[in-house]
Amino acid sequence: MALLADLVQNTLDGVALGASYALLGIGFTLIFGVLRRANLAYGPALMLGAYAAAWASLSFHAGLLVLAGIAVAASIVAGAYVERLCFAPHRKGAAAAAMVASFALWMQLEEVAMLAMPRHLYAFPALYEGGPLEIGPFVVRVDALLTLLAAVAVCALLWAILYRTRFGLAVRAVIDDSRAAGLAGIDVPKIFMLVFALASAIGGLAGFLIAASHEQVTPMLGMWSTLKGMLAMMLGGLGSLPGAVLGGLALGLIEAHAHWFLGPQLRDFLVYLLLFALLALRPPWMAGARHG
Amino acid sequence: MLSVRDLATAYGKIEALKGVSLDVAPGSITCLLGPNGAGKTTLMLTIAGVLKPRKGSIRFAESEISGLPPDAIVKRGIALVPENRLVFPSMTVLENLQAGAYQRKDDLGADVERVFARFPRLKERAAQQAGTLSGGEQQMLAVGRALMSRPRLLLMDEPSLGLAPLVVDEIFRTIAELHRDGATIFLVEQNAHMALKVAQHFFLMEQGKVTFSGNPGSLAEDEVIRRAYLGSSR
Amino acid sequence: MDEYALGVLTNIGLVSFVALSAYLLLIAGELSFGQQAFFGVGAYAAGMATAMLGLPLPVAVLISMILGAAAAALVALPTLRLRGLYFAMATLAAAEMFRILFELLHWQIEVGGERVGPDGTQGFRGIRWVFERGVEPDAFLAIVWLLLGLVLLLFLVMERSRLGATLRALGDDPGLAGALGIDVERFKLGVVAASGALAALGGALYAHHNTYIEPRNFDIMLGVHSLAYALIGGLGTALGPLLGAVLDIGVLEASRFLHGYRMIVFGGLVALLLVFRPRGLLDERTVRWLRARFS
Repeated sequence: MALLADLVQNTLDGVALGASYALLGIGFTLIFGVLRRANLAYGPALMLGAYAAAWASLSFHAGLLVLAGIAVAASIVAGAYVERLCFAPHRKGAAAAAMVASFALWMQLEEVAMLAMPRHLYAFPALYEGGPLEIGPFVVRVDALLTLLAAVAVCALLWAILYRTRFGLAVRAVIDDSRAAGLAGIDVPKIFMLVFALASAIGGLAGFLIAASHEQVTPMLGMWSTLKGMLAMMLGGLGSLPGAVLGGLALGLIEAHAHWFLGPQLRDFLVYLLLFALLALRPPWMAGARHG
Repeated sequence: MLSVRDLATAYGKIEALKGVSLDVAPGSITCLLGPNGAGKTTLMLTIAGVLKPRKGSIRFAESEISGLPPDAIVKRGIALVPENRLVFPSMTVLENLQAGAYQRKDDLGADVERVFARFPRLKERAAQQAGTLSGGEQQMLAVGRALMSRPRLLLMDEPSLGLAPLVVDEIFRTIAELHRDGATIFLVEQNAHMALKVAQHFFLMEQGKVTFSGNPGSLAEDEVIRRAYLGSSR
Repeated sequence: MDEYALGVLTNIGLVSFVALSAYLLLIAGELSFGQQAFFGVGAYAAGMATAMLGLPLPVAVLISMILGAAAAALVALPTLRLRGLYFAMATLAAAEMFRILFELLHWQIEVGGERVGPDGTQGFRGIRWVFERGVEPDAFLAIVWLLLGLVLLLFLVMERSRLGATLRALGDDPGLAGALGIDVERFKLGVVAASGALAALGGALYAHHNTYIEPRNFDIMLGVHSLAYALIGGLGTALGPLLGAVLDIGVLEASRFLHGYRMIVFGGLVALLLVFRPRGLLDERTVRWLRARFS
């Protein structure tokens, strides 16, 4: 009976964790699905957003909504810088160059954040002031629920954009075949830029929610976010948006259960093993066959 | 309508076009024939803006268009039906057509109806994913998509590639119809026989250069076909 | 030469091994985020060989190279069919698995009254074979650079041989290479194994230079850095990765003036450089031009 209780609690924790991973995965996947490139500076860009919000909070105690806006705006700016320098110049071929350039900017943005705010840890206002919800013997954090809600809302918004707007039509065309999209009259470079901005905005929101849920920001947020976003995308099948959400949730669930039963190191090992196995075996839901 | 002069395009170290010059007269069907590797598709892609030429000029309706990006070329009124069709597989037939009209801000209804009238099979499959269509249907969709931008010049790269003879007949009937309705068409074809039946003028291309220019009949058909497949050697 | 300069030069030499191993894969057309794992395998294997089994350094280095190649082959076998980013992600996952294994590795034995051996996250101290034989820092520097020089010579010979041409053909167009009768998968396996041995060689020397290693030394940062050195230095010649290492470690880290801003400068310069030279400073075109100029 105790085992069942553990399993349920872990599942609840896993979904809570998975909600942030799903948001990170969506942003990372948008860039990968459309530009066919992995953006290693993704995490650091959204970290700058969270740092900007933290600074605003410390300097003039802005409200949560304002902080969210600042995080999103700063991430978009940082993302635009990365896009212009790393991805726009390497449009044709040269995927390695784009990714190494994004790694270089990862290092650069991290150093910028650490110089601007040198302390290892900065406090961040809580997303929710009250205590967790108690449903019988189980505990659910309210900020986790809010993050989950945000993830669902983002998904719905993205779906509406992709399937109900002219811009979304163009994005789907570029995802299918960027050369044919250009021939149909779509300004493909502009679409890349706009998608990048959208991905950065979502990343900024994710960064804000993560910082507010943990009530702190640290420089570790950068690499951690990129890694989780990448893992969510890969577990869910590379380049598919619903896949990224499922991948994020799956990652959260696996981590929560593995952490409880196996401890933090084996938990990480298991995640990497799973990823490696998925890549080696390439089950049908991995989009790789089409583009790989 | 279209004037190409001394166009040279390279893929990395390979010079695919070595100084191509040709003209396409308005209201005509002009055909480009030649063996594989002659550079025909490279020429189409260069005109369409996908490839940038090293040197030379492309003039369309009195303005220089070489080096412009693909979407600007569409804006000028040139649409390419690419080799291998390149439909958007995950999008529906209707969405593919809408994508072709991406630059237009006006109502597309009438144009969609026109495409459906021309290709009734597409109308039947309007809500179907383009990736599930047959080769011939995809070819019609690709043509329909190009027509949606109301081009003044229609470029077609190997429209009969990989299609059954009956379907090829249908495609060429469509090309003739489009011409009757006033379109200017510049067509690359492997099927020299069918192409010569519809074209008013044709060019032969070999190894990156134009080697012959004339009307169907100015060269015996079997000679044309021989050169189109094997190139003019001895 | 003062100690600091000796340290910097040795460091450049050691990192060059990993950068060269990433370079080998890059010219064969594959991106790897995981070479640091084989560097680590080499480090731990050589350390255990000398400090715990009492074997001499040359033997330890040989063992570590064999194990490095084996570890790389282990990673490559299931992933031979993967290309591009997929292969890169697989190498990343594998490398992290190795790092966690290093964290879980606890094996200590009594040697001369002390407990010696890897102790998980606490690391592995006491790799003092070189130290105990009175090898001075400048002598060790000479050893590192001698070995590096040999490796570079091997590379330069290989690049002019049919093997080198095949490697680059694979990198340029694997489909074509396959059509020309090259067993792409077997070849790739060989290349990855060789890169593993190369990285392990560096690791073995690294362990004996530092006398202390811990799992954190072999994380993603090392891997991505080495990849960056190879790409920035240039993919036209084996001297490229060396150049990349010299530029980062030699110029920037050593320059006190840029202290604290190093990554901002380096990161920005790298991204800018890649815009104009996507295959690095000493890319194939530059190397050809240099060869024509000086021959």
